[in-house]
Amino acid sequence: MSFLDKLFKKKESVENKAKDAANKAENAAKDAAAKVDNAAKNVAAKVDSAVKGAAEDAKQTVAPGTVEKVIHEPKFADLGELLPGAPAGGKINLAIYWAAACGGCDVSVLDVNERILTIGDMANIVMWPVAADGKEKDIAAMEDGEITLTLISGAVRNSENEHMVRLLRQKSKILVAYGTCACFGGSPALANLVVEGKDEILNYVYTKTPTSADFQQTYHKDKPVIPQTSYKAPEGELTLPVLYDTVKTVDQVVDVDYYVPGCPPQQETISQMLKAVVDFVYAGVALPPKGTTIGITTKTMCDECPRKKSNARITEFLEPYQVNVKEGICLMDQGILCLGPSTIGGCGAKCTRAGQPCRGCYGPTADVQEQGASMFTAVASLLPILDDDPICDEEKIIKIVSEIRDPLGYFYAFTLGKSLIKKAVKETGGQ
Amino acid sequence: MADFEPRIVTFCCNWCSYAGADGAGVARLQMPTNFRIIRTMCSARVDPEFILRAFSKGADGVMVLGCHPGDCHYIGGNYRARRRIALLRLVLEQYGFDPKRLKLEWVSASEGEKFQKTVTDFVDVIKALGPTPLQKEAN
Repeated sequence: MSFLDKLFKKKESVENKAKDAANKAENAAKDAAAKVDNAAKNVAAKVDSAVKGAAEDAKQTVAPGTVEKVIHEPKFADLGELLPGAPAGGKINLAIYWAAACGGCDVSVLDVNERILTIGDMANIVMWPVAADGKEKDIAAMEDGEITLTLISGAVRNSENEHMVRLLRQKSKILVAYGTCACFGGSPALANLVVEGKDEILNYVYTKTPTSADFQQTYHKDKPVIPQTSYKAPEGELTLPVLYDTVKTVDQVVDVDYYVPGCPPQQETISQMLKAVVDFVYAGVALPPKGTTIGITTKTMCDECPRKKSNARITEFLEPYQVNVKEGICLMDQGILCLGPSTIGGCGAKCTRAGQPCRGCYGPTADVQEQGASMFTAVASLLPILDDDPICDEEKIIKIVSEIRDPLGYFYAFTLGKSLIKKAVKETGGQ
Repeated sequence: MADFEPRIVTFCCNWCSYAGADGAGVARLQMPTNFRIIRTMCSARVDPEFILRAFSKGADGVMVLGCHPGDCHYIGGNYRARRRIALLRLVLEQYGFDPKRLKLEWVSASEGEKFQKTVTDFVDVIKALGPTPLQKEAN
C-alpha cells in the first residue's frame, strides 16, 4: 500500500466514522474468512501471497486455531493532497543541517513524496546540504529567530558540527533533533568506546586500515601523514574541523525543542512532524509541548510486529545469516537477538516484517533511559531452566551469553550517546 | 593506596540477604563500613540500569545479594538476576571496567556470617582494584 493510498484511506475514514466502524467489522470478517481460506490454500496460493507483500504474508502463516495477534500500525498524519500554497504571513524559513551522520536523514526528508514540491510554497529552504545551496555565512547574516524550523540530523562530533548547531539554535525558533544520531548519538557515538579517543581513531584510520597502511608504506614510509587541523599554504591558512574525543547528542550541546527518532525517520513519523508544522504555519495551531518525541507510540516495537511469540527458550544466539528465518514467528524465539522488546514503537516494525531483527533505532521506551540494560532483562528471560540442570549453573549461562558478539555494540548500537556510562574507561590497577 | 575507602552499593533482597545483613548486625559481627544497602523485594528487581546508574554516579563496586538457588521467595527471581548479571558483566568488561567490580552472591536470612565474609572480601577486592576508573575521568 503506497503512502497516498494510506492517506486517502485515512481521509475517507475521517469523513464518515460510522461507515468506518462498519468497514472495520466487514474487514475483520473478511480477514477471518481469508484466514480459513488460507489454511486450505495450496502452494500456488503461497507464491501469490509472496507477491502481495510481507505484512499479508505474515498473517497467512499464522497456524490455524491460534488467536490472531492485534497489530497496531503507526498512523499517517492526514496532510491532504498538497499543501495549500504560501501561508498568509509569508513563507517561513526552513533549515536542514547534516552533522555527524551518514546523510540518510537528509535524504529521508524527501519521503514526504510529491508534497516536497509544495514545501517550496510554504518555506524558503535556507540550508539543506544535500539539496540546496545555503552556506554558513548566509545563516550567520540572519537575524536571531529568523528561521522558523531547523532540522538537525547527526551527532555533534567535531568543532564544525558544534559551531553550526549553536549558530542554527541562535537563529531558529524551533529546533528539531532529527534522526537517531541527533537524538541518541546513533552509530557515531560508538566511537566513544575507543579508550584513547580521537588520536587512536585517527591513527587507526590513517595508518592501520589496509588501504591507508599500504598508502603510508608506499609514500610516507618514514613518517605517516595524518590530516592536520590547520595547514599553512602559500595562499593562506587552510583549516579542518577539530575532531572531538566524545561524540555528543544535539541536546547535550544546545536546547532541543522536539525529537524525531529513526534511522532514518519513517514516513509515518515524518508525516506527523510535517502535520504539526503545517498546522502551526497555516492555522496557528499550537505546537506539541516542548521536548516531545514526535511519531512514537506508548508501547514497544513488538506491539507493531506481526510475528507471534511462543515464549520458547533458547540456548544459542544466532545471526540472521546463520539460519533460515521462519515467517510469522518471533525472531527471539528463533534465537535471533531482536531489540524490539526494548525499543519504542512508531516505525511499523518494518525490519522484523522483512525478517531482520530490530536494531533499536527508535530508542528506548519512555520509562527507561538505558535501552541496552532493558534489553539484558529481556534476553535473560529467554535463557532456559534446563531439564537436566534446573539451576543452569553460571558457567553454562556465561557460555551461552558469550556467544553474543560485541554485546555493548549490539545493545547500544544507537543509544550509547544517551546511556548512563557514555565513554569507555581504563582500569589503572590500583595505581 | 592505603587511604582509599571504596564506596560500594549493595542491593539486598528483602527475604534473604537483607535479613542476613540484619542478622550480622544483631550478632555484632565486625565488618568494614564501605557499603550502603539498598533493599529490594527480590534480586530480580535489580534492573541492570540500577547497577549501571550506580557505576555512572561513581560507585567503586556493586554487590547484588539474593536468596540461594531454589530458595527464591518468588520461585525463580534469583535465576533471572544471575542471567542478567552474567550479561551485564560482559558489557562492563567492554566498557573497560574490571568485571570483579560487580559481585553476585547468595546470602540467606540465617547467614549473618556469610554476609560479613562476603562484604569483607569484596571490600578487599575493590581496595586492590583501586577507585573506579570513571571517577578518575571526571576529575
